[in-house]
Amino acid sequence: MDIVIDIEDSVPLFTQLIEQVKQAVLTDEIGAGDPLPSIRQLANDLGVNKKTVAKAYRLLERDSVIVTRGYRGTFIHPDAKANCTVDLASLAESKLGEAVASLRQAGVTDSEIRIAFGTVLSHRTEPGA
Amino acid sequence: MPTWYDTLFYCVFLAQIVLISFYYPEKLRRRILGLLETYPPAEYPRLYPKPVEVYRRRIQVFRIVTLGIFALGIVLLVALATVIDHKSFAADGFISEAWPAGYAMIQILPFVLLEVTEASQLKLMRQAKAAHRRRAALRPRRLLELVSPVRLSLAALLFVGAIVFDLAVHGFDFSLGHDTMQRAVTLAVTNLFFVAVGAYLLRGRKPDPYQSPDDREHLIGVALRSQVFASMAISVFFILLAAGDALAMPYLDATLNSLYFQAIVFLSIGHILRSVQLDDLDFEVYRSEPAGT
Repeated sequence: MDIVIDIEDSVPLFTQLIEQVKQAVLTDEIGAGDPLPSIRQLANDLGVNKKTVAKAYRLLERDSVIVTRGYRGTFIHPDAKANCTVDLASLAESKLGEAVASLRQAGVTDSEIRIAFGTVLSHRTEPGA
Repeated sequence: MPTWYDTLFYCVFLAQIVLISFYYPEKLRRRILGLLETYPPAEYPRLYPKPVEVYRRRIQVFRIVTLGIFALGIVLLVALATVIDHKSFAADGFISEAWPAGYAMIQILPFVLLEVTEASQLKLMRQAKAAHRRRAALRPRRLLELVSPVRLSLAALLFVGAIVFDLAVHGFDFSLGHDTMQRAVTLAVTNLFFVAVGAYLLRGRKPDPYQSPDDREHLIGVALRSQVFASMAISVFFILLAAGDALAMPYLDATLNSLYFQAIVFLSIGHILRSVQLDDLDFEVYRSEPAGT
């Protein structure tokens, strides 16, 4: 199975990689336990930065689509097919939508929500916070 | 009247001259000319970052150089058989192994230049590549899937065997100035070089930006197998040299050297020419790129 990326596409490269791996799993082109190329191999073959492939692999691992087994390499997760349908981006959108709706109901203005959202997000990402 | 071992050397050396400076260069030249005919620049522009005349001229130069080296070899062979006083080159009076070895170095030069030219050609192809779409196989390239574990183990065994046998024949003399240790170091460095090149082939940058993932894997497999064969040939050669020392047969050193270089070329250039056929490769990737891709 080949992976094809378009470096001029508006979709980020790591997203293209994630989508194609998920698509390959959903269409049974690759199945549970199948090995994936190393980050270095895939990055060199595609002529992209290793960090791009590493980011895609990290997010795929977070979504339990792939699993890394130390020196043995990276493999397709046993439950990859089911996990491919879980869309964390839409989950985040829906949860935030609910939170924004309840804040508006309480009378909080949009600019106050924006400031509060920024503050909460920066508190979470600041080192030691 | 030449001795039987001198006659044997002349025959083997003639084979070296013909194989490395005529047979393989001619085969290679015809392969390249066939490529130019079958996949012309008009239809496969991505394959030719330079005008096709440049390639034809280079092939012509390659032919002239190899034929020149071939003629030099014939002159050397005649000189070795008639006018050269072997006692002035080797104390024992036998034909020195430096003759076939030195001549082999000259014979290899056009192939090295061809390799350098290929590297610069691939560099130009990478620079000219304007394609937005890039393709890669979503499977790992593993050494043991490309090279048989039996061959790899045999190469490792021969490597260790050659060093141990050489040491055993020379009474386990570990002094650095001795030939045995020098041969062991040479063998280790050569095999380390093969390992480094192999690792780069497996994990390194894609040299040809258009090559299909299947072709790339096929060519990497051929290159790795060729290296394994070459490693085995070097080990066998070193074992034969040690055996020659043990059996006191210095009169065969020059013949062995000549056979060694022929084996190396047969297993490297020859193996690649035998294993890679133009019809098996996907040349569609070199056609002009449709607009917008």
